[in-house]
Amino acid sequence: MTTYSKKEVLLRVEDVSLSYDRACILRDIRFCIRDIVRPGLQQGQVVSLVGRSGIGKTQLFRLLSGLRRPDTGSIAIRERLPVEKGDGSIELYQERMVQPGDMGVIFQNYYLFGWRTVRQSLLLAARRNKDLAGREEDAIRQYTQRFDIEDVLHRYPAQLSGGQQQRVSIIQQLLKGSDFLLLDEPFSGLDVCMLDKVVELLLQVSLSDELKTLIIVSHDIVTAVAISDTVFILGRQAGLAGSTIVREIDLMERGLAWQKGVREEKVFAETVREIKKWL
Amino acid sequence: MFEPFNKINRKTFLILVGSQALVTLLLWQLTGGGLIPRPSTVMAALGRLLTTRLLLDNLLTSLLLTGQALFYSVLITLLFGYASVIPFFKPAALFLVKCRYLTLTGLIFIFTLLTRDGGQLKLSLLLFGIVPFLITSFLSIILHTPNQEFELCQTLGYNRWECLYEAIIVGKADQVFEVVRQNFAIAWMMITMVEGLNMSEGGVGALMIKYNKYNDLPHVLALQAVILGLGLGFDYLLGVLRHWLFPYTKH
Repeated sequence: MTTYSKKEVLLRVEDVSLSYDRACILRDIRFCIRDIVRPGLQQGQVVSLVGRSGIGKTQLFRLLSGLRRPDTGSIAIRERLPVEKGDGSIELYQERMVQPGDMGVIFQNYYLFGWRTVRQSLLLAARRNKDLAGREEDAIRQYTQRFDIEDVLHRYPAQLSGGQQQRVSIIQQLLKGSDFLLLDEPFSGLDVCMLDKVVELLLQVSLSDELKTLIIVSHDIVTAVAISDTVFILGRQAGLAGSTIVREIDLMERGLAWQKGVREEKVFAETVREIKKWL
Repeated sequence: MFEPFNKINRKTFLILVGSQALVTLLLWQLTGGGLIPRPSTVMAALGRLLTTRLLLDNLLTSLLLTGQALFYSVLITLLFGYASVIPFFKPAALFLVKCRYLTLTGLIFIFTLLTRDGGQLKLSLLLFGIVPFLITSFLSIILHTPNQEFELCQTLGYNRWECLYEAIIVGKADQVFEVVRQNFAIAWMMITMVEGLNMSEGGVGALMIKYNKYNDLPHVLALQAVILGLGLGFDYLLGVLRHWLFPYTKH
């Protein structure tokens, strides 16, 4: 079993609810994501929010990204920001409500500005990142080489394949410098080869920083379990309107996190079966 | 070729256009006569017009006025269009949109009172005619901006002014150009009308009214042919210019 420990809360969702046209969509959503520390390793977090189609995953995605405000409750993130206290000590982190722009957001169709070339799009994002000031071009070069798209820098989105658009979209949000990366159905509509590449890519991203946190909203249970360390199941409860988190599954505890051949494990199949029962 | 939604290549299409135009001209030539001049008579009148400076001078006058009118119209449209996303300015923009239902008849005297000379009168009448149509098209573009464009701006941490700049001002620049191209026809159509109101400065409109007064239909139709030809030419040029200025519109 891999040694790990859960440290500070990076994202806290408390009693979030959302209604649309008086119909309750989401109710009492409550969960938190903690910093997972593995000795001697730089390890980010990969969390999946799974649920059936039409259960409210996209609405939860929009709430988490800050693009929409919940009717009740709060979504707070741990921000890397030095705050000087009265006693002279410096606290490097503070918790605050999520705002649009706090999270890197990758939409299902990998939307990019159609009027910007890849390089221009990436530069726009890099310029938002104060840590990259003066080194934007270098950062773009490094990322595009790493993600194998350096030859499409001067193309427009319409000239890119779906896979290239997805990589540009991910790099754009990475360059922005957010610790959180929120992905809406990143596995949908991909062929088997591309699916493997995307999984590899996301794992690569999660390892890029200790606080890098990927939140994947998906209905593809198998891939979500294979890539994540924690799975939250969004479902309905009998007699109650709206969806809520019906179960949290700690995949690290079951020895399913960070394993390459995890799909072959017996406990993997059992976990997938268990999730399906909860949906 | 006779099935709905069937696609034909460009060469076939051009052959279709050419042959249909030829058949129309032939039918016109064979069945025409009396008061309506035949194409050959119109062509002869066009030939005479082209050999004098009269057509060129009047065309230049009209083109200059159209250019001026388009320049100011685009400026006003952009100003009110961009401002329309700010709630305070939205009523003014919507009022301009509704102005397209107004007719110039009856308002000409008011415009005469408000302007200093014939040149200004023509320009203001053109603006009055063009701006409501330009702004209607432009506001429709703004209204149909995909929400994802704003959301991408927000996820990149843009404030509302930066969203306006990226998603509307930069993002819709090519469509502004297309709106101008499509509405150029309105300006070109109106020019002949307003030039008739103040004939001292000339212009193809004034020239046409002069020929019309003496029932010189061959010259009237020759001028119409010139106006149509120039309009098509500008339409093509603006299309080429759009692809050159905004290369992403080619894909």
